[in-house]
Amino acid sequence: MADTGRSAQVVGWFGRTLDRHIADSPDGVRRALLAGFALKRWQTRHLPSKGLLPSGQMAARLSLEHIVGALEHPDEMVVTSIFLPTEPFLAMGLRPVTAEALSQFVSGAWAEDGFARAAEDAGVPDTFCSYHRVLLGTAESGVMSAPPMVASCSVACDANNLTFSALQRIWGCSRSYVDVPYEPTPEACRYVAGQLRSCAKQAEETFGRALDEDLLREMCARSRETLEVARHSLAGRARRWLDNDMTTELYFALAEHLMLGTPEAHELYRTLDEEQASMRAFGGTSLLWVHMPPYHLVPFQQMLNESDDVQIACCDMGYDLVPFDGGWWFGDGDPWLSMAERLVRCSFNGPATRRVAQARELARLTGADAAVVFCHWGCKQTMGAAQLMREALEADGLPVLVIDGDGCMRSGCSAGQMSTRLTAFLEMVRTRSGREMGGIG
Amino acid sequence: MSKHAVLYACKYTPVELLAGFGASCELAELDAASFPDAERLGHANLCGYGKMLLERLLADDVHEVVLVSCCDVVKRVYDVLAEEGGLDFLYLLDLPHLRGPEEVALFRERLAALADAYAAYTGSQFDAGAALAAFEPRVTRTDERVTLLGAHATASLLDAVGVMGMPVENLTCTGPRTLAAPPTDLARIEGDGTCTLCEASERDGRPVLDRFLDWYAEALLDQMPCMRMDHVTERSQAVGGPGQLGIIYHTMRFCDYYGFEHAGLRELDRLPQTRIETDGTSQSAGQLRTRLEAFAETLAARRATGMLDASQGGAFMPGMGKAQKANRAAARTGDYVLGVDSGSTSTDAVVVNASGAMVGTAIVATGVRASEAARRAEAEALDAAGIGPDDVSLRVSTGYGRDSIEGMDVSITEITCHAAGAHALAPDARSVIDIGGQDSKVIHLDEDGSVLSFVMNDKCAAGTGRFLETMARTMEMPIDRFCQTGLGWRHEVSISSVCTVFAESEVVSLVAKDTPAADIIHGLNVSVATKTATLARRVGAEPPYLMTGGVARNAGVVSALSDALGEPVATHKDSQLCGALGAALLGLSRLRSTRAAAR
Repeated sequence: MADTGRSAQVVGWFGRTLDRHIADSPDGVRRALLAGFALKRWQTRHLPSKGLLPSGQMAARLSLEHIVGALEHPDEMVVTSIFLPTEPFLAMGLRPVTAEALSQFVSGAWAEDGFARAAEDAGVPDTFCSYHRVLLGTAESGVMSAPPMVASCSVACDANNLTFSALQRIWGCSRSYVDVPYEPTPEACRYVAGQLRSCAKQAEETFGRALDEDLLREMCARSRETLEVARHSLAGRARRWLDNDMTTELYFALAEHLMLGTPEAHELYRTLDEEQASMRAFGGTSLLWVHMPPYHLVPFQQMLNESDDVQIACCDMGYDLVPFDGGWWFGDGDPWLSMAERLVRCSFNGPATRRVAQARELARLTGADAAVVFCHWGCKQTMGAAQLMREALEADGLPVLVIDGDGCMRSGCSAGQMSTRLTAFLEMVRTRSGREMGGIG
Repeated sequence: MSKHAVLYACKYTPVELLAGFGASCELAELDAASFPDAERLGHANLCGYGKMLLERLLADDVHEVVLVSCCDVVKRVYDVLAEEGGLDFLYLLDLPHLRGPEEVALFRERLAALADAYAAYTGSQFDAGAALAAFEPRVTRTDERVTLLGAHATASLLDAVGVMGMPVENLTCTGPRTLAAPPTDLARIEGDGTCTLCEASERDGRPVLDRFLDWYAEALLDQMPCMRMDHVTERSQAVGGPGQLGIIYHTMRFCDYYGFEHAGLRELDRLPQTRIETDGTSQSAGQLRTRLEAFAETLAARRATGMLDASQGGAFMPGMGKAQKANRAAARTGDYVLGVDSGSTSTDAVVVNASGAMVGTAIVATGVRASEAARRAEAEALDAAGIGPDDVSLRVSTGYGRDSIEGMDVSITEITCHAAGAHALAPDARSVIDIGGQDSKVIHLDEDGSVLSFVMNDKCAAGTGRFLETMARTMEMPIDRFCQTGLGWRHEVSISSVCTVFAESEVVSLVAKDTPAADIIHGLNVSVATKTATLARRVGAEPPYLMTGGVARNAGVVSALSDALGEPVATHKDSQLCGALGAALLGLSRLRSTRAAAR
């Protein structure tokens, strides 16, 4: 449902109220935010959204359980960058959360502006990725409790290099960094595997816990099985009504990165894969979405969440770890190499041609009718590749809309202008497909 | 260009290695007012340096390019160049973020791969002598200088820094490379080729290139790190060395690395520093000039007294020799000083008498000719004071148009003038918030009214008087009625966008929804106040606050700013004259000094 009803007004009031008290009552704001998140978690447990399929309901519940659980236990929390493998932390019973997840939750409470401002007050450039800016604001303001450790990798963007050094300075916590070579090669995997071992060792020392390598091996094997199920589910999306919304796609992206290796994540993708077979045929417009969708934007909610005629077939950030360029190079025996290979061969690593190739394959498998390249504010990786993406997808016959906005902050979007552009684009796509089918146009 | 001219972009580029294969390496540079091709092929919100690189490297005279995976934007520049084709040799060298032994070994292999690729392309063999001859000795400066740090500086930026009239050390990200000198045994290769290493190579068959790379990879990585490296503690060595008078920190719009470093650097108060931001184009020189001249005034005052004293303002006077100014001042017989503040919206003039009291003022619209407005303002102010032109001993100009006004004796930046004027209007004020038509600034003062630090908005109208004027026009209201109407607000309306264009679009949407005009205007006032409060916090501003500039007359903004800062913000009935008053008072101070020296 679009954020236009009474509940949206209440959440908006809640966010504005928090915004006013970030500076003078960080502890109070933390408690209020946590209470709000816990309420949402209760809802996903007991009153799941009826508009979603079981997989969508499960994705929402798992995300809330995971993130809220971490915030409730900051002494077990590791704040990570989104592409860093989390199996070692999960195997130690720790609670990894990503910058994107935390900022998304803050944005869900309509409180993102105040935290972004807190970061900017501390000198963070206003051109910096808003997911990272909001996270830094939660740390700078003292609203977010300091975790014992932060960990990041150089994939996929410069923001990771900056944010986690800054968080270490603010929180005075332990920090681990994994440098991922640009070129995906087996040698690069071996190098990264060594760094992942060091990262896990540091976590063991920081938290005083021992890593069970057998459990880690089991989890990494399950990660690959889950990605295989995810890959299989893609073909099932073609010309099927998915009954999803923008937020569901975000939850799946979180599941793929934060919870990979857990039985819950595997069950999530298995459910998705199975239920797609029973979905009704879909004759409307299916979109490949590049980068995160701006789930908060009301006109987009009306067009993408509530419409029976348009849907997101796939978001590329939810399927970046599925390799389409051949099978795995390394077997399941060495979990470190397994995780390293996944990271090194992630479609966001290396030249833009890799991400473009992944997008083309995703569009092909899901039968997408058109693509939207969403240039999230501050994401140079996506902005710089936008025109390359457009050319490649258009060469495949897909209409492409390149649109600027902000996936996290409402103030980074010009709702009227963006709405006009997406509406006009969808009209064009419908007209074109009608013409191609010999219909109206 | 030589036969093999390689353009590069990053100080980690193996310039010496490529020279060993006959390449002459040149830093890619272009001073342009805009980057149309880069924005077409890439995106408008890439950093100016990345866009400049694209424009330059797509030019017909470029055939060989070696880039380094230094940041997201350069990686995408490589992608676009690769897609466009047209280059004879294009290579992206992967640079580690870490600098341990394992990373050095990896980097060495990557350098070897580049060497193989370039050798295959040129058909040449590695000449160690040529490589070693390309080394430039590392020079540590100790002379009195200002250091330019941060993001890449274009030629126009370096020119702008030159207006300070001080030696400048360029340590920006593309500034001088700082490789250590080759070790003695390696350096001997440079001679006739009969060195011990060459002989060793002949004995064991291990190529000289391998021996060169064994040393070179670590030397290249061991330069003073740029901000994209994971450990950057050595960068602190760039600050506080002998002879360093101050730091100019350059940040580039959409380059986040150096914004972060500046955030840490500003906590250091042992050195004067100022931040300038550009978008990589040759534009916005006017605003840069104001900041740089104000900074030069600060440095000059510190050098003269050991601390900044507002009375020292005017020590730096571009465009006119000191002797010429002194002669002109001495020739005058009257005891009056005129200050003229040439702003984008209004031109203000103040006449002070020998005791510093205001005896005549004028405010006129600037219109399209700054000099004509200044002439009218001067005439009106003299008329109000009841004196003639010959009674004025010194004329001091400030504001954006300060160097366009004929007949002025001294030009002082509005930063220094506002500080002096504010201290005169409200001696207790510790922070001056000035929101004018074209820019907004916050000046942090010490208890004597001297400038401790200052910050100005960047090349954007958001948070300025122009922003409010644009919105008033959108709402079809004269500005006075716009200000008055805003005071009657009842409900909070959030204007969330920080961009003038987006905000205008939001206003149009609100008008379409029949939102009361007073509520919309209040939302706009809050938007300006929020942005200004952020600026104030950046400069460490503290109460009591005094607001000056034309927007100080807008009670709605003043009230919203008080709320945003959590402290009262005072105004003064003469706050719009603050810059002109400061100019006149600084002129008076200078006049007294000149006369005392003459006695």
